Amino acid sequence: MDIKTRRKLFDILMAPRSVAIVGATSNPNKVGHIILQNYIDVGYDGAMFPVNINAKQGDRIMGYKAYRSIKSIGKQLDLVVIAVPAEATPSILEECRIAKVKSVVVVSGGYAEIGRKDLQDKLVEITRKSSFILMGPNCLGIMNTRARVDTLFLPTFKIDRPKIGGVSFASQSGAVGSSILDMIDAEGFGLSKFISYGNAIDIDEVDILDYLARDDETTVVIFYMEGAKRGKEFIEAAKEITAKKPVIMIKGGATEAGATAAHSHTASLAGSYQAYEAVFRQFGITQAKTMQDVMDFAKMFETQPFPKGRRIAIITNGGGVGVIATDALYEAGLELASFSKESEKALRKIMPPIVNIKMPMDMAGDADDKRFAAALEVASSDPNVDAIMVIALFQTPGADSRVAASLINYSATRVKPIAVVSPGGSYTQAHRNMMESSGVPVYSSPDQAARAFKALLEYKEYRDSIR
Amino acid sequence: MARLLEYEKARALLDRYGIRSIDSRYLQSGKEAASFAEKGNIAMKAISQKALHKTKSGLVVLNVSSDNAEKAFAELSKKAEKYRPYRILGQRMAPSGLEIIVGGRTDEQFGKLILIGLGGIYVEVFRDFALRVCPISRHDAESMIEQLKSKSVIAKDTETERMLVDLLLKVSKMLSENDITELDLNPIILHEKGYDAVDLRVMV
Repeated sequence: MDIKTRRKLFDILMAPRSVAIVGATSNPNKVGHIILQNYIDVGYDGAMFPVNINAKQGDRIMGYKAYRSIKSIGKQLDLVVIAVPAEATPSILEECRIAKVKSVVVVSGGYAEIGRKDLQDKLVEITRKSSFILMGPNCLGIMNTRARVDTLFLPTFKIDRPKIGGVSFASQSGAVGSSILDMIDAEGFGLSKFISYGNAIDIDEVDILDYLARDDETTVVIFYMEGAKRGKEFIEAAKEITAKKPVIMIKGGATEAGATAAHSHTASLAGSYQAYEAVFRQFGITQAKTMQDVMDFAKMFETQPFPKGRRIAIITNGGGVGVIATDALYEAGLELASFSKESEKALRKIMPPIVNIKMPMDMAGDADDKRFAAALEVASSDPNVDAIMVIALFQTPGADSRVAASLINYSATRVKPIAVVSPGGSYTQAHRNMMESSGVPVYSSPDQAARAFKALLEYKEYRDSIR
Repeated sequence: MARLLEYEKARALLDRYGIRSIDSRYLQSGKEAASFAEKGNIAMKAISQKALHKTKSGLVVLNVSSDNAEKAFAELSKKAEKYRPYRILGQRMAPSGLEIIVGGRTDEQFGKLILIGLGGIYVEVFRDFALRVCPISRHDAESMIEQLKSKSVIAKDTETERMLVDLLLKVSKMLSENDITELDLNPIILHEKGYDAVDLRVMV
């Protein structure tokens, strides 16, 4: 299959106009039921065909006419989702091949991951002879929030479906996939595509990066992978996508022992995991070491413009947290900015005498929205400031929703990147939600914000280096 | 099966890419050792496929002058007996300086990799190194040096930094154009007149 056809099929897979769900049933405990239910819940408006081998003439499953086989549908199918036990899958895949289906997602597990490589090989063999592309097996499949496609077998009441946005997320592992997906919603940023690709017998990392690079609805990519199947092509796909948009990678298997014996110092230092890290660094992929970093980086990348450099202004309504934040900046390899003479003069006029116009600028506990807005305006036009970390402690007497509103207003100007640090309980949480849903990245502690700034800066430097 | 490339061949390979290594030759006898040492003290190493870690096996003698070369040659030959077949390499003593490592290996996923780091005995202790996929660009080479924690001691001035960038580009070219599974230039000694690769290990 040539690359053009493959790309066309991938586009169809991600926004199919007709879907058959094999294994669909009225039994709510079965995976096939949940998938069908999800399609209904998210409001998919294409044609839907439940398939169940035990269906009788005239049977309906959840209101849809039921079919005994792919063949009996008698229509061209964009996507077939297979959710029947592994043993039964090859024969259904063979039906898909004969019916010239465009794409297939095999959600069922029970293949190479449990030692049944023989069964997996059967799927590979049929797929090679076919004209479809296949995702899986052993995966959650896909979600496309705009096209209202959802092949996940996770009930909507157990896992929150994120709102529509620009972040796309691909995961080799279904478990990491579903937990990060749930976190994405909790962190308040929007999702474009979710792709869980499992054992990757056909569609792999390279295809997915290629698709997400081409997809204009995707502005930021999150990726979890354990290993790439095609190293050289992976590098090409990485170069292609990172020239356009950031990719945040979390790579499993850091502590894996090297597979080959080392004859040299070089080989003992630079094992296979280090090779991955080298590739990520060299080709502009942002590596995150923890799931929390993934979230922290993604919301920064999604909402903020690039900083020009590493000088960060700290504006706070609490002195101590400002000091901790300063340490966090240097820890992350950034610097504390210092105001220009003009800025100092302007601020001296605005701020009450109690405020010391020095970085980190402590505006005191009674700082209100006007003080925050004025400080932001000055920092924003100061040539010595590349980005702004605002510490907004909502426990203080001066801070209320008006402070949150002024931070939202500033963030919308997109002049310089901003990160807000607001640790706290339920009152703070309410304001965090307000800000996050308006595209302001909010963090619980300064070190998270500092690392996110650093990630943004490093990606910006990469983009500069390839210009 | 990976095989250690013979020292002279390895040195010739480095020469072809303009990578400097220290003056050295195989010695057949104590007499040859003494005459080689006339122009300045030498190190002698017994080289065998069976002993990849020369220092650990006690197969190295350092700072041998012309006067005691014959005796040192005889003693080293005795120690090397159990690693037969072996050859004894004489090498001009390198000027003292900071030791770095430049290396490479072939990764089954991504192909040739190149590495630079703090070398000598510190390699495994500090694990301060930078790694890239070959071939590297000038920008890659610069960013590798930038990435090192020990950057300020390794590339102590712009001249040294430029020299190291050039060295990395040459090694990257050599790795890319040859079937090398593993490469160690460790240590490379940085000194006033530039650098010298003192120990070479090329696995093909």
